Amino acid sequence: MFGDLERTPRTLLVCDRSSFLDEKNRLSSQVEQLHFNYKVSMLLPECSSAPSHLEAVLNSFNSFYLIRKLPIHELLDKHFLETSVHQGLVSGLSYRTRIDEDNCVALMPNGHLSLSLDKDSFELLGVEGKLSKFNQRTNSRYDLTDSSLAPGGRGYQRLVTGLRSRLQLKTDFLLSHHPGGGASLQALLSRCDWSEHRPEVRSHALTDLFCPLLTSDLQSCDPHHLLEWLGAVDADVSCENSSSSFLSSLVCPEPKTTMSRALSVSVCGLLSPQDVHRLIQQIRCYLEQPRLESWASLTVHGFVDSPVSWGGDEHGVLKGGENFYSLLMFHDHTYHLHLGTGAHDTCPP
Amino acid sequence: MSVFMDLNLSFTAERSRLKSLIETAAHLGFSTVAINYVFEPATKKKQEIPIPTPIKELIDELPVVQGRYRPIRVLNRLTVVMSDSSHFRPNAAEYRCFDLLSVQPTTEKLFHAACMIYDVDIICISVTEKLPFFFKRAPVNRAVDRGVVFEVSYSAAIRDSTRRRYTIANAVSLMESCKGKNVILSSAAEKPLELRGPYDITNLGLLFGLSDRDAKEAVSSTCRSVVLHAETRKSASGIMYTMKTCSESSSQQEAPPADSGEAPAAKRAKHHLTD
Repeated sequence: MFGDLERTPRTLLVCDRSSFLDEKNRLSSQVEQLHFNYKVSMLLPECSSAPSHLEAVLNSFNSFYLIRKLPIHELLDKHFLETSVHQGLVSGLSYRTRIDEDNCVALMPNGHLSLSLDKDSFELLGVEGKLSKFNQRTNSRYDLTDSSLAPGGRGYQRLVTGLRSRLQLKTDFLLSHHPGGGASLQALLSRCDWSEHRPEVRSHALTDLFCPLLTSDLQSCDPHHLLEWLGAVDADVSCENSSSSFLSSLVCPEPKTTMSRALSVSVCGLLSPQDVHRLIQQIRCYLEQPRLESWASLTVHGFVDSPVSWGGDEHGVLKGGENFYSLLMFHDHTYHLHLGTGAHDTCPP
Repeated sequence: MSVFMDLNLSFTAERSRLKSLIETAAHLGFSTVAINYVFEPATKKKQEIPIPTPIKELIDELPVVQGRYRPIRVLNRLTVVMSDSSHFRPNAAEYRCFDLLSVQPTTEKLFHAACMIYDVDIICISVTEKLPFFFKRAPVNRAVDRGVVFEVSYSAAIRDSTRRRYTIANAVSLMESCKGKNVILSSAAEKPLELRGPYDITNLGLLFGLSDRDAKEAVSSTCRSVVLHAETRKSASGIMYTMKTCSESSSQQEAPPADSGEAPAAKRAKHHLTD
C-alpha cells in the first residue's frame, strides 16, 4: 500500500519536433485547439528590450469583457445565438469558479456549450448530460448549432428552462469576440454589468543567467528539466542552488552556458489562439535576423479551471490543473513543442 | 467533487479564538465547517450535554470563502466520547439541536455497536492512543452500507510526534478494513495554526493509505454525503422534514437544505455515486 506513495499523480508530456517549413507540421492545429489561454510568456535570450514589431503584436491582442453574475441562460438568447454563436464569433469561460468545487461553464467558438456541474446542480438542471470521466461530476456538452437545440425546439426549451428557473446558474463570465464580432455582443452586454479589459503585458529584463545549450538537432536537453528551467526563469526563481539557501534546489540543465542578458515577457488575460499564432509568426521574423543566440521560447498556459482543454476534451483538477504547451523555436525554422497536462486530462494532440 | 469541508473545529469558549479559527478556514478555502462540542460523560458525573451557541452569537459576520462570493457555512456538531454503552442515548432530545452527531468508541464492543446500530453520522477514530482493538471487516462494511463515515483528525499529529505515530498507525489500520471508502479527514483544530488547506490534507491522506482520488473525496464528496445523511436523520427516511416554528429554535442556524433543498433532500443520501 505504501507503494502508492512513490507514484505521483499522472502527468502527460507530449513532445513534438518539426519545422515550420514542413507542410505537414501540425503546429497551427495544435495551437488552434487550445481555445482558452490564460498566459503567454516569452523568453528572448541576449535581448534587453522588446523589439518594436513584437511590442506592436502584444499591444494588438484582442480585448475581452468581464461580465459579473451573468445568468447563463442569456447565452442561449435567440438573438445572441443567431448573431454571434452560430457565426463562430464568440467564446467565453466562467471566471472565479473552481473546476473541482463549483459549476463551470465554457462556450467554445464552434458553438458548443460545456457545463461542468456537481451532482446536485446537474440533478436540478434536468437535462441529459454525461458523467465526467475523472471524478464524481458531470461534464456535458451541448452543441448549440445542432438542429436538436435550435431555438423554439423542445430540447432548446428544456435547456433554457433548466438554466433559467430550475438551476438559475449565474457566474462571472469572461467573454471574447473575434475581430468584427463586437457589435453583436452589445445587445447581450447592455443587459449585464460588464467591463472591458485588455491583456496585461509585463516584461522583465534578466542579467547574467545560466541557460542550457540549445540547438535544434542535438538531443541536448531532457524535456522535463528544460521545462523546469523555463518555469523557474519565468517565475524569477533562482537557479543557483547555493548551499546557504533552502528555498529552491532547481538548477539549469547541463550542458550550460551563460547569458549576459535576456528578456522575459508575459501577457495575461483571455487570449485567443489567433493572437498566439500571430505572435509566433512575429517571433519567427525576429529569429530570422542574425542574432547572437539562435533560439526563443514561448509558453502558453491554459486556464486551470476551464472545463475543456485541447479540442474540447474534458479537463479537471486533481492536485494541479496544468494544461500548457511550450514552443522552442530556432533560427533555422525548426521547433520543439512540448504539450503538458495533469492527471485529469486526456492526451494533448 | 464538491466543495471542501472541515467538519471538526473544536469549540472553545474564547470568542476571539473561534472567530479567527473560522476566518482561517474561510481563507484556506473551506466552504463549510462544523464546530465540534465534545461531551465526555465518563469524566464527570451529572454532566449535561452542551447546548450549541447560535452561530450569530459567536461571530457577527461570516467571512467569505477565499476566491468565491459566498460566506462560509458553519454547522454544529456533537461528539460523544463513549466508554460505556449507557453514554450514548439514542433519540435523546438534546441531540436535535446539533446538525451532525458523532461518537468516539473506546472499546471494541462499543465500536461494533456504533457501526451496526447507533444512529450517528460519524465515528471518530482515536488518534491520541494506540487503538486497543482491530477493525473487523463486518462492522466496517455495515457502517459503510448505512452511510456512516469514519473520521481521522490530523491536528494531534501536528502538535505532538508521538501522536503523529498513533494517528498514522490507527489510520492505516482503518484503511485496511474499509479500503478507503467512507472516510473523512478533518482537523480537530484548537488554534488557527493547526488548520491546513484542502490540498495539503489530500496529500496527508496519501500517508494514511488512501489513493489520490479517495483522499480528495475525503475532504469533499464524502463530507457532503455526511451532511446530507445528517439531514435525513432528522427526517423520516429523508422524505419528510419537520421544523419547529417557535422562536427559540428558529434563531439557531440549522443546517439549511442548501443547494440540495429543492429536490435531492427527498432522496436517501447516497454515499457513493454509481454510474
